[in-house]
Amino acid sequence: MEWIRYVDTLNDHYRSQGNPPYRWSVNESAPLHRLSKPLTECKVSVLTSGGVSQCAMPAFNPNAKNDHRLDAIAFDTESSDFQVHDNYYDHTDAEEDINCIFPLDRLRELADKGEIGSVAPRLWSGFMGRIYNRTKIAEESGPAFANALLADGVDILLAAPT
Amino acid sequence: MGLVCRLLEERGIATTYVATGRDLAALVNPPRALFVNHPMGNNFGAAGDRETQTAIMRAALGLIESATEGGIIVDMPTYWEKEFSFGPGGGGS
Repeated sequence: MEWIRYVDTLNDHYRSQGNPPYRWSVNESAPLHRLSKPLTECKVSVLTSGGVSQCAMPAFNPNAKNDHRLDAIAFDTESSDFQVHDNYYDHTDAEEDINCIFPLDRLRELADKGEIGSVAPRLWSGFMGRIYNRTKIAEESGPAFANALLADGVDILLAAPT
Repeated sequence: MGLVCRLLEERGIATTYVATGRDLAALVNPPRALFVNHPMGNNFGAAGDRETQTAIMRAALGLIESATEGGIIVDMPTYWEKEFSFGPGGGGS
């Protein structure tokens, strides 16, 4: 099927909620860091913005705006130990199988098979949508996240936005 | 999250943005995007579909090695059985 036009749909929704017009980030070019080693030697982490938290943690605010919360999740966490709270997408499948949006089992399997070097010690959930104060990402939460990944020796991050 | 990917890339961490929104990805222009035409929240596939989940992981990792310029969007050859929609504020189907 044709892909969904999210930008138009979200613009209409934000307007109907009485929110100011959403200023989409528009970038003409993009940076690229090429790795100097093969995947089989790389340490990989994942990030989801789908309102995913461990059961013992507080739920994400399902209608969050400007929420820079970022949870670190141990690499060996059971895939059944998650809850999902986000009113902006249907997470029925993710509640049944968290790998739909946060593929930690699949990542561990790829490491076991030797297709990647290793799974990073920490996996991540946060940066939920509707962040209007993007300067804070550029100057605070983004650099802090980069520092945490570099401290873990992460080479690759797979990001699953919602 | 695309902004985060751009920032990480500048710090020496390679990223792939596994997107269900092609227009959203095109705007923010992350370093590497894999577009998966699934419902939002099924970025890696359906519940219990290990085969598809693994295939999408492999494609995302493959982009790390194959991309030679920033801003690339690759379409994942995938198929979602049912029609789906998006309803912000109340989920989709």
